[in-house]
Amino acid sequence: MLQKTWDCEAPGLGCDWRDVPFLVCDAEMSSLDANSGELLSLGWVFIENGAIALESARHYLVKASQSVGQSAAIHQLRDCELEEGRSAAELLELFLSAAAGRVLVFHNAVLDTAFLDRLTCREYGAPLLMPTVDTMMMEEAIFRRHEKVIQTGDLRLHACRERYNLPSYPGHNALIDALATAELLLAQAKCRSGDNNFPLRHFL
Amino acid sequence: MEMESSELQSASPELQMIAEFMQQSLPFNELSNNSLQWAVAKTLIHYHCRGDRFSKDTAEMGLRIVRSGAVEIRDDKNKLLDRLGEGESFHIGGLNAENGNVQALVIEDALLYLLPDEHYRRLREENRNFDRYFSGQRSRRLRRAARYEPVPNSMMREVSSLMSTNLLTVDPALDVKAVAGAMTQRRVSSAFVVEDDDLVGIVTDRDLRVRFSAEGLPPDTAIRDIMTNDPETIEGSHTVFATTLLMTQRGYHHIPVMCEGKLSGIVTTSDLILAKQDDPVYLVQHISRQSDVQGLVDVISGLPSLLVQWVSSDIRAQQVSQILTAISDAITIRLIQLAEQELGPAPVAYCWTGFGSQARAEQLLGADQDNGLIISDEMTSEHRPWFSAMANFVCDGLNACGYVYCPGDIMATTEQWCQPLAQWLATVRRWTQTPTADAVMRVSIFFDLRAIHGDASLAKRLQHEMLEQASSNTIFLAALAANALDSKPPLGIFRRFVVDRDGEHRDSVDLKKRGVLPITEIVRLRALANKIEAVNTDERLRALAKEGYMTIADSRNLADALHFIQRQRIGHQAEQISREETVSNFLNPKSLSKMAKEQLRDAFTIIDESQASVKATFRQGMG
Repeated sequence: MLQKTWDCEAPGLGCDWRDVPFLVCDAEMSSLDANSGELLSLGWVFIENGAIALESARHYLVKASQSVGQSAAIHQLRDCELEEGRSAAELLELFLSAAAGRVLVFHNAVLDTAFLDRLTCREYGAPLLMPTVDTMMMEEAIFRRHEKVIQTGDLRLHACRERYNLPSYPGHNALIDALATAELLLAQAKCRSGDNNFPLRHFL
Repeated sequence: MEMESSELQSASPELQMIAEFMQQSLPFNELSNNSLQWAVAKTLIHYHCRGDRFSKDTAEMGLRIVRSGAVEIRDDKNKLLDRLGEGESFHIGGLNAENGNVQALVIEDALLYLLPDEHYRRLREENRNFDRYFSGQRSRRLRRAARYEPVPNSMMREVSSLMSTNLLTVDPALDVKAVAGAMTQRRVSSAFVVEDDDLVGIVTDRDLRVRFSAEGLPPDTAIRDIMTNDPETIEGSHTVFATTLLMTQRGYHHIPVMCEGKLSGIVTTSDLILAKQDDPVYLVQHISRQSDVQGLVDVISGLPSLLVQWVSSDIRAQQVSQILTAISDAITIRLIQLAEQELGPAPVAYCWTGFGSQARAEQLLGADQDNGLIISDEMTSEHRPWFSAMANFVCDGLNACGYVYCPGDIMATTEQWCQPLAQWLATVRRWTQTPTADAVMRVSIFFDLRAIHGDASLAKRLQHEMLEQASSNTIFLAALAANALDSKPPLGIFRRFVVDRDGEHRDSVDLKKRGVLPITEIVRLRALANKIEAVNTDERLRALAKEGYMTIADSRNLADALHFIQRQRIGHQAEQISREETVSNFLNPKSLSKMAKEQLRDAFTIIDESQASVKATFRQGMG
């Protein structure tokens, strides 16, 4: 399955961003540590032709192998709801078929990909290894380019969105955060590209 | 991509958030939950930076809803048609189908929801009410009509609008005598000296006196020897305000005006003074300087012609009524001050209070006076003569100024409307507890009140009591509701013309009685029921929407309907004044353009719908 996703032709680095299909994704976990924590939910949405297609929005819960414990207070997912979720393997399959031929987008990709990598290692014996855009890194680069000092909290999803006049959303739902990240990517891309050609390589 | 609708509805609290947002946006509130969820799924989200444009050539057509940011709609002459904010939508193709070459311009970075054309069409085909909004373009059309941008005040007008174009140009070699002769003949106070189409100098009659006569030069002196060389000029697009500033700073009495690089007119200090006199601020100041009633009568006599000017410079309906109210406030306050000069200071604290349209700041020309005196409870019977004399002085003065005596005797000159606070409070309690037909009628004027002069805390306490008594009393509210439902909007106006009961104005409709009053009554009822302190109808509507007592859609629709009807009233009054007819509120719909007729029907439809909702809320089961 992972091989199949890899085999799908990825968009070239010279492609204008509007021609690149993106899969914007966010995960909720029971801990910030990929070794001890577990994936609880996954949400995603597609960007195609420079627009978010709401029809593609998905939100899946993962059937947890152990209690979510204290983290329930943050992501509002309770054990009883997670009971009705899918198995991690099932979800990974859905994710990989959605990811085929797309560039992945996360806000703070390190965290989410660590969990996904661990999952693919467990199921297929290899890490995810997909082209990935990180809206947080893009924002950091913009700060650096303007030689602005980055202060604590400046790169949080909510703070980034405010700078682009994007509405504020409630946090800590994987799909809401994925959508919020997708809107941020559109804003970053539009502001940097205007109507000009703006190739994918600038995002990576 | 397969989409199971069950999954969409149950699995995504996120999309529910978007559905809720869209439901607050007209006309998505008309959709069933299923259709709404379907529309959400078909929605694309785009981000646009400031400066992005949409026109009839835009590749992706469809309905665009502003999620954040702001968009302006402008016509082919770049005239502003509408400004859209969060929750408002536009269809650039639809706008152009109606109206030449309309463009939408993003003026603040914006997140837009796009419902692509094919899906938008399907929603319209399958949902009658949704479709009606666009086919009639009911609320949108009304909003645009009510909102279209005014020139806020005459100081912000372009200076080219008041320059004189009667220009005398002369050759620099011409002698002084010839120039002076030409100036006298043309009755101008300045001449432009032009060489090869270039402005090289200016001569004013002051120059002729100071530099020529006083110096004793010979009459054949060339004009170039006494002219001011290379005079400073101003662009015609500058505001009157900027011009005034420049001229006073530099001490100029004349300044040439250039339009598109060419000399096209001249502005003098007296032009500026004249311009200032139309300014309402000037008028209000002028009122406060009058030393007797006759002075006030003289100042106010120019008001009708000022109204005509304001209407012709497209000042908004709400602004016109605000200005007119500010003027009647100023007159009232000046009269009270004059009375105090004559009678000596007041024996105890009091508050001169305006009722009805004056309180709501919604006065137009021809308003009668509605006022009262709330006096401190320290008042004793020996103080009464002072207050009677003061009330008589002020009410007579108002009558002389054209604010005729109230036919219903709601005036501070009557004992009932000139009472210590305790008596006022007792009256409020009596009326709310036993709402007789007469009490309810009076309440409709009396419950809109505003302190005009004196101790405002007295009026505040009275208003507080009104809100306390009214909001908790469902029987009283039901009686008020019955009153608000009394006057039905004349919806049949386009099939047959309504004859008002007095029969005097066949073929006409009373815009005040059938349009403005029902709206004010509905909004007052809702405000009283929910303890909203605001008195102005727009402010009440905003507060009701903000506090969640009314949907944003209903609040906006009523405001738009009110503004539209008020604008028709004001425009109609201005026309009557120009034709030297008596000002009235009767309008013959035949005199309206097709567009305005449609809009009037939209406004009446909105009133009708609001009345239905009042009936459901306040008179359930009462028939």
